[in-house]
Amino acid sequence: MADAHPLQVKDLSKQFARKRRLGSVQAISSISFDVRQGEIVGFIGHNGAGKTTTIKCVLGLLKPSEGGVSLWGSLPAAPVVRKRIGYIPENPDYDDSFNPMEYLNMFASMRGLSGLNSDWMKLLRRVGLAGWESTGIRQFSKGMRQRMSLAIALQSRPDLLIMDEPTGGLDPIARKEFREIILEENSRGASVLLSSHILSDVETICSRAIILSRGRLIAEGSMDDLLGQEHLFRITVISRKTGKEVEEIITEADLQTRIDSMRQDNLTIVKIERALKSLEDVFMAATGGSVK
Amino acid sequence: MKAVFTFSLMTLRMLFRRRTLWGILLIILLALAGIASVPSFDVSNQGRFILDFGLFGIEVGALLLALGLAATLYPRDRETRTLMPLIAVPLSRWQYLLGRFLGAALIQAAALLVTCLGLMLILLFHKLPIPGDLLPATLLIIVEGWFLLSTVFFFSFFTSPPLNWPLTTMLFIVSQMSVAEFVGLLPSAPGLMRAVRMILPHADVFHIKDPIAHGFAIEPVYFLVAIFYGLCYSAFMLSLALAVFRGRDLK
Amino acid sequence: MIRYVFLFTIVYLSFSGCRTDYDIADVAPVEFLDSEENHEHLHEHADEDTSCTHDSNAHTDGETGEEHSIDEHVEASHAGHDHASGTRNHGTQWFFNQPWAAPFIWRKLFRDSVIFLGLAVAVFFLSSRRRRKR
Repeated sequence: MADAHPLQVKDLSKQFARKRRLGSVQAISSISFDVRQGEIVGFIGHNGAGKTTTIKCVLGLLKPSEGGVSLWGSLPAAPVVRKRIGYIPENPDYDDSFNPMEYLNMFASMRGLSGLNSDWMKLLRRVGLAGWESTGIRQFSKGMRQRMSLAIALQSRPDLLIMDEPTGGLDPIARKEFREIILEENSRGASVLLSSHILSDVETICSRAIILSRGRLIAEGSMDDLLGQEHLFRITVISRKTGKEVEEIITEADLQTRIDSMRQDNLTIVKIERALKSLEDVFMAATGGSVK
Repeated sequence: MKAVFTFSLMTLRMLFRRRTLWGILLIILLALAGIASVPSFDVSNQGRFILDFGLFGIEVGALLLALGLAATLYPRDRETRTLMPLIAVPLSRWQYLLGRFLGAALIQAAALLVTCLGLMLILLFHKLPIPGDLLPATLLIIVEGWFLLSTVFFFSFFTSPPLNWPLTTMLFIVSQMSVAEFVGLLPSAPGLMRAVRMILPHADVFHIKDPIAHGFAIEPVYFLVAIFYGLCYSAFMLSLALAVFRGRDLK
Repeated sequence: MIRYVFLFTIVYLSFSGCRTDYDIADVAPVEFLDSEENHEHLHEHADEDTSCTHDSNAHTDGETGEEHSIDEHVEASHAGHDHASGTRNHGTQWFFNQPWAAPFIWRKLFRDSVIFLGLAVAVFFLSSRRRRKR
């Protein structure tokens, strides 16, 4: 199984039972995807789309109703594969009575890591918690708890990082630092599954994206494919009425016909260029919104 | 097992820093001091009185400690989501349960030893002899405390803390009853009650305050067998708790 | 969960030894119940302990604090000591001063312990296997 992908999800479904007579809720249904070695995969979807449920199934926190998950070809519960994972939960929290250094030492011991306090100091500096190593976690803000969570996830130099909304609630500077750390980890060889609402973050650092909507996988592909899949063009012409430049976006199929009609109308075409969509456009289109 | 021991130490430190432990410990010590200050009608009986009720006080203390320390452990871990990063990566569910149990068991044992020391000081203060079996008797109560702790863990996986308290207390009371007393609770169904009582634990084997207060010789083998019984029953309760926990979805 | 409880109940009850409890009426040897000597000895001992009346276990004769149940045969020969069948008092005290009881208790406790340990191991592995299957 040496060549198995770090993460493979096959036909994964999860139903939650509700109280009597209310039936059950289908949180995710028949989702299949994988995360290959060295990839950063964005995992996006609206609230309640099933991202966190999928991640919890991957980590063995939830039992799939159907389908399965494999990590490097093994079951998620296998201790060998768990050692290779770093996980950042959504809204992480830790016991208030400890400080970051105590936490890192305890997690290191539980994972069988042989690190020294100086190593953990470096790690805390890397995630922006230098100087806070002996401060009780009860005094930490939400952002600091997220940094703490990142430190714990990175502690074992994981081969697969699973991040559930890691930058939610962070300020732009902190988000940029998080992105840089993710890219550094990726350049070291780690694969990343990044679930996020912040589509610009996903667009910036991910090589591939998976879009979920109402528990179903509705789009998947490399970022280039997703952003260029309809081959849109932007034509800039000078309006006869106002004399100002006006932009129009059309598909490649309609491009020639439109140029011909503009020429017949004696419109001055200033430029024709490929119109790049944002991930937000793709997401909105895929989930029932409209492309700009 | 290193992960379990580390996690149990983490639990121990966490519980040590909570006020619950110190509050319960103070209540037990105050109760012991109160027992000693009750006027005795017959001076020759004062030693028996203090020993008998003192050991009973420590036994009730074991119940309070089990509930106070463990009833909120798992529900709180779930509520604050500290459980997720632990179960997701470094620990499996049995390691989590055993680590939490061992941490709580160690601190409960230490607290009960302190109360035993308190009882010894009270006896010394009243210039009364300290029976040699007092420490082994406390050891039996510690084992009973572990059994109660495992019961609290078992209930905590499918009830809320406010429900855990009466359920565990009920089991504590029932486990002290003889078959005849238990059948007496529902005389119309003696067969059923008898069968149910057989399955329930016999916590009265940890309950040797009377023989000690009356100065009976207790064979060492009794302590060994009773401790073995307590540990095995605790292991059984923990395995049931684990079976429930393993079936739980951590949403 | 229910299946574990069923499994436990069936295994536990299938051990014949587990069908008896600590009640004297169930477990005392007939010779003991028949023996006047033993009974008198017990009575004497109980008289020594009359001060201990605060125990949670009920007994009908608070004055003597005597502890044993007596079958009809014994009742006939000891009028005035009418205890309900199965009644015991003073917690575990009774088997500390009755020579025949100690080995019975050791054996029963040890057997119960081994059963519980076996069940604990079985439940641990069964629940683990069930989880892996999912």
